Amino acid sequence: MLEILIHGAVSSAIYAMLAVGFTLIFGVARILNLAHGSFYALGAYGAYFFTSHLKLPLFPAALLAIAVVALFGIFVEKVLVRPMRSSQLAVLMITLAVALVVEQVLFLTFGSEYRNVPAFVDAKFTIGGVDVGGQRLLALGASVTLIALLWLFIQRTRLGSAILAVSQDPQAANYMGIPSDRIFTIVMGLSAALAAAAGILAGPFLTVQPTMWLLPIVKAFAIVIVGGLGSIPGSILAALMLGYAETIVGYLISTSWTEIVSVLATLLMLVIRPAGIFGKRAAF
Amino acid sequence: MKSISIFLSSVSVAAALIAAPAIAQTAKPIRIGVPTSMQLQVGRDTQDAIKMAIDDINAKGGVLGRKLEMVVADETENPETGISAIKKLTADEKVDVLIGGYTSGVTLAQLPHISAAKTIYLGVGAASPSITAKVKQDYDNYKYIFRVGPIHAGHQARQVTNFISGFVKGELGIGKIAIVGESAKWVQDLVPLLKKGATEAGADVRLTEFFDTQTSDFSPLLAKVKDSGAQYLVVILSHASSDIFAKQWHDARFPIPYGGIDVKSMDGDFCERVGGKSISELAANFAVRAPLTPKTIPFFDEFAKRTKRSPVYTAFGANDSVYIYAEAVQRAKSTDANAVIKELEKTSYVGIPGVIEFDEMHDVKPGGKGPNFLFVQWQDKCQRQVVYPKAQRTAEYITPAWIKK
Repeated sequence: MLEILIHGAVSSAIYAMLAVGFTLIFGVARILNLAHGSFYALGAYGAYFFTSHLKLPLFPAALLAIAVVALFGIFVEKVLVRPMRSSQLAVLMITLAVALVVEQVLFLTFGSEYRNVPAFVDAKFTIGGVDVGGQRLLALGASVTLIALLWLFIQRTRLGSAILAVSQDPQAANYMGIPSDRIFTIVMGLSAALAAAAGILAGPFLTVQPTMWLLPIVKAFAIVIVGGLGSIPGSILAALMLGYAETIVGYLISTSWTEIVSVLATLLMLVIRPAGIFGKRAAF
Repeated sequence: MKSISIFLSSVSVAAALIAAPAIAQTAKPIRIGVPTSMQLQVGRDTQDAIKMAIDDINAKGGVLGRKLEMVVADETENPETGISAIKKLTADEKVDVLIGGYTSGVTLAQLPHISAAKTIYLGVGAASPSITAKVKQDYDNYKYIFRVGPIHAGHQARQVTNFISGFVKGELGIGKIAIVGESAKWVQDLVPLLKKGATEAGADVRLTEFFDTQTSDFSPLLAKVKDSGAQYLVVILSHASSDIFAKQWHDARFPIPYGGIDVKSMDGDFCERVGGKSISELAANFAVRAPLTPKTIPFFDEFAKRTKRSPVYTAFGANDSVYIYAEAVQRAKSTDANAVIKELEKTSYVGIPGVIEFDEMHDVKPGGKGPNFLFVQWQDKCQRQVVYPKAQRTAEYITPAWIKK
């Protein structure tokens, strides 16, 4: 029972980190960013590259990787997405194209082999008789901290208020003197940075290879549909639900059934309540 | 006039002198067609290993005074593309022999086309027994097919059962085992066989469980294994799960050792790639850098020198195949397929994984001095050591550092 509680929390934390960024950029800029998984992959590859090729210590390598991915996110938003932002279909296509290009570039640069991001913590911890890898606990702690910081940033700072204002009504915010384009750029950078951090934290106990972007985007999609596109509390709640549902299925039924959970949840939610748990209206 | 004729004759003599070696050199090269999955490591290593053998043979003057030459075609993992690759190599490139293959499904689809082209095929990657079964069923049409490696899936299954009964039960004295594998067709076929074999050998199979190939969290599975009371975990893994499994097994300091068929753990860099977390894992392999034959260590070292990589299993068969074919041509004194086949059937070649000899189905004979399924353990500093079968043992078995002996 305690095992389910702990391992479910770790899965949920990683999912929440992925989904919050994904839902944030949608909520603020109405960008359905299919390249979100690529930011996750690039974060992991960045940490791998800086530690194994440039021989940087892990912590600076991780920060550098996050910064580079955030810049890449800003580039994607400014150069590729902005000219087509009025059409959601065009945004979908261009971000999908970015994801596929990133995959191919990773493939050509690093090959199809699996790579490793070193773990921040290698020790094992025993909590109430349950053995948990230190890196997993770190991922859980870091994820909770980062999401809390993001929450505080949005709720308590001037820039955060501007982001909220733009998410409610970009045009009105513009009239109030808030440069909405700049807000979109900042949010895209933040969202990319969060995904990269998730990749770096999960990389050591998962694996790093060019197609690793796909599963996270599927999970993030499922979570934001269940939670309501654009709603951060919805995403966190849905991430918890999905993380725990998968862990419970794994423990009580079989690990071969876990991957179907997210797809089923998405389908069910789209049929029963297309807007999601906290969504105000259906996004599609 | 005289001076002109002298000039002309000297020119013609000079031309003849220049032309003579040129003619010898342009004696038509023997063309080796390589159908393989070019983008994958198995394919890349196939090409590099063949190139190594070709360079070596050419440096020694070639075969029957003819140089060897390689032509590659990408067969991907798709049967349709695989068939096009064979057609390109046989019809357009007119190769003398084909060396390659990786996916059994592709090779099976290619067989009729290889047979129609009457071109010798030396398989180095696909393990399905159905491939060479064709030779027995219809010798006249399928006599062109040989498998140099790996030993076929039936032999592999038998050797894993031997490992459970002979090593886990026999040597480690562990009777309670769990078997877990990916939800893939070949694994689902293999697991019941293993369970039956292990039970017959007196082992107590506490748990058999499958998991999705996309699984990213093995904690539930590991918890079930622990709860089952098993003391040894037999795994059947391939794809991405190998890396994740090793990492999560180590991170939780899981109290049960594991080993079995782990396709990715056959890679030379697997242990380093997972940060040394696979140390003490046992993974079946076809050859490792150990003195299996006089050729094994020199091959691994030369391959590493040329490519900066450790070869995967297709490389062994690919390298051996070139020599086996070259020797057969030498003995047959011709590249005529029928004559070479007769010589290939007599092959007894000391190769990288063992002595290569063919049975009546043109399949490599396993066991004895032939290639074996070796159970190789990752030991200190990510070195690989053979621990089973006993005849090939290079080091004693070690337990994970956190398990008391």
